[in-house]
This record gives sequence, structure tokens and C-alpha cells, in this order.
Amino acid sequence: MALLTVQDLHHAFGRHRVLNGVELSMEAGECAVLLGSNGSGKSTLLALLSTRLRVQKGHYQLAGYSAAQQGEEIRHRLLFVGHHTHLYGHLTPLENLRFFADLHGLPPQPATLAAAVAAVGLQRFSEQPVRWFSAGMRKRLALARLLLFQPLLLLLDEPYSALDVQGVAWLNASLDRFLQQGGMVLMASHDPERLESLPHRLLRLQRGQLSDGREECPC
Amino acid sequence: MPLLILLRATYRVAWKDVVGDWRRRATLSSMLFFAIAVLVVFQVAFDPDRQEATRLLPGLLWATVLFTSLMGLGRVFQAEEEDGGLEGLLLASVPRGVLFFGKWLGNLLLTVLVELLLLPLTLVLFNVDVWGQLPALIGVLLLGTLGLTGLGVLLAAMTQTARSRETLLALLLLPLTAPLLIAGVQAMAGLLDPSLELGSWMRLLVIFDVVYLALAPWAFGWLVAE
Repeated sequence: MALLTVQDLHHAFGRHRVLNGVELSMEAGECAVLLGSNGSGKSTLLALLSTRLRVQKGHYQLAGYSAAQQGEEIRHRLLFVGHHTHLYGHLTPLENLRFFADLHGLPPQPATLAAAVAAVGLQRFSEQPVRWFSAGMRKRLALARLLLFQPLLLLLDEPYSALDVQGVAWLNASLDRFLQQGGMVLMASHDPERLESLPHRLLRLQRGQLSDGREECPC
Repeated sequence: MPLLILLRATYRVAWKDVVGDWRRRATLSSMLFFAIAVLVVFQVAFDPDRQEATRLLPGLLWATVLFTSLMGLGRVFQAEEEDGGLEGLLLASVPRGVLFFGKWLGNLLLTVLVELLLLPLTLVLFNVDVWGQLPALIGVLLLGTLGLTGLGVLLAAMTQTARSRETLLALLLLPLTAPLLIAGVQAMAGLLDPSLELGSWMRLLVIFDVVYLALAPWAFGWLVAE
């Protein structure tokens, strides 16, 4: 049974149409990779699914909740890690994770926060402000939020960018565990090979519509 | 969503702003130095005697508070400019009104702290002997500041992406807060001079606070939805 359903989704920025009737459904434990050229609308689709952008036309439901009326319920069930890490430079890793937890109604458990920081290899820097972190360290910390709760949907926009070999291995192991627990992953990526053995299906976004990503792009 | 979760989220947003300001030593010190500079300019420009200073005090104080709060309001969303902070806030699963109240609370705390330092300084600088009414003066200032910061934070959100946002913020805030400032000045004047009206101006201040703080969270949610 599909937990995520998108029907006839359209989106435009002014007169520029980006999405033109997107259809998508995903089931528990499924991983899908969005392919598409720059400007094809991958980030827009992820922003719509995260409810960051308002649905202009069409329908989007997650676990039976409609994006049009129940955005908070949907945001409660997803984690979005995009190009921006949404970290505050003046806060330490622990403080950033605590901020995230409190804004998502998660129980404040210092041990869980510390374990998440340690899991992404940043325990040595746990007292330092995040502003001194490299792009890879920031990306790791952003992804550590996945260890604080079990969302239904994980939206990732180019998750492998800035990650080193160990970071990629950690992410793939975390995604594997997440999928086995029934989570869904939708990621936009230019290099799906980095998913390695993780089972996934490819989707291609072109001319504002989704199609099977295994087909050659005619553009 | 349980009330405790909403309160914790509100507190956390305010905490993040206050801690950020404390660590950067940015907004609070700028506001304080600016306020002192404005007061000194007023003192040099008017050079009032004690009686005249008592009469001018409410207007001078509220004008200084307004100018100073503009400086703080211009930086309310500064932390959200780095690394998609505003996007991150809007992805929170708490209602967007909670985010507004968190931002408002953070700004309110900074503004009130500046006011608490500003008020005794003003009395000393202008040599006004109304120390016995200091608690009541603080009360009127706090009452006015609730509405002033409520409207201010909403306007700061509205102008956040504008190119000349600080100019735009001032252009919007000054006329929109004029009724509240008039009520604040008159209420303070009523405190200092028993022959003047006090009660109705206080009631008006409360009404402005209630209206601004009831409408602003709703307007904020509508404003930030793309």
C-alpha cells in the first residue's frame, strides 16, 4: 500500500512552469533516486514534498495526510536534508541537534543527542561552534538528525556532496537500516552509483514530468 | 500537539537568538550604545531644566526606545540568513505561530534588557527626580514594548528578503506603531502628572498589545508560506 502519493502535481515560479503533472507513489521500505538535468525541477519537487513550498495544483498525501491542509502532520513525519544544512554557526553540534529536536517535538534526551554526534564522528568537536566546520562535517551533522527519530520519509538533495569515503559508507549503512525499518527515501542525485548495493529505483524528471529513470533521456 | 511541546519549541527559538546575540556580542551592545548616543543628543539639543525635562521625559524615552528597537528588529532574522536557517525553521513540525512567538520572545528579552538599563540612565542624564515612580514607569514601558516588538518582528519577517530591508522596516514600523507610541507617551505623562489622564491610555496600550499579538502569529504563518 502506497504511503506517499502524488497526483497531477504542478508548480510554476511566475510564468516559468517547473512541474507539469508529476505522478508518484512510494511504499514502505522503498528508495527512489531522482535523476534530471540542472533546472529540471528536482529540488522544487523535494521542496513541495517537504511542504516548504505550497502545492499550487494537484494532490500530495503522506500517510493519509494532505499537504494542502495538514502540513504540520506531514512535517512531523519527514526529514529533509537539502543543499543547505539548516545549522546555526554560533551553536555547537549538540545545541544544533537539541534545537532540531525541540522544534520537532522530540523528547529531550541528552544521551541520544550525544550518541548521534558520536555516530557521525564529530564527538571531538562537540563543544565547538559549527561555524568552524567544513562542508563535509556540516553535512554529517545535518544527516545525524536521522538518528534522533524514525521519520516516515527521508528527502535528500544531493546527499553525497561534500562527504568523504567514510561519510558515504556511514550514510549508506544508515539508509539501509532506515529502509529495513520501513522508511522511504527519495533523493535527488547526479551520481546514483554511490548508493552501491542499496536497492533503489530510478526516476527521471524531464519536462516537468516523472518517468522511469532507466530509459535514456532523449534531451 | 501538547502545550509543553509548543512551549519548549517557543523557548528554544528564543534561546537560540539570545545565546547567538550573547556569543556574538552584536545586537545588545549596539542597541545600548545607540540608545545612549540618542539620549546624549537629546540632552545636548534640548538642554532642559528639571521641570521641562519631566514634561519631555515620556516623549524622549519612547522615541529612544523606538529608534533602538529598530536596530534590534533589523537583526531578528540575521541568524536565519546563514545556511538556509529560515527554510530549516519552516520545516519544523510545530505550528508557525510558535516560531513567531519564539522570535518575538527573543527580541522582547533583548529590548527589555536595554530598556531596564536605559530608564535609570535617562533619569540621571536629564536630572529628573521621579525615582519613586520607577517601577510604574518600567511597567508602562514593558506594556508598550509587548506590542511594539510583536508588530516589529512581523514587519521584520515581511521585509527580511527586501534589498533595503532596514529602510523598509523603518518606513513601515514608524507609522504603524504611532498609535501605540502615542498611548505609551500619554500613559507615562499621566504617571508623572496626576492632572493628566492615565487609565484610558493604559487600556489603549493593552488593547494594542492584544490586537498585535493575536494577529501577528497568524499573519506570520501566512507570510512565510510560499
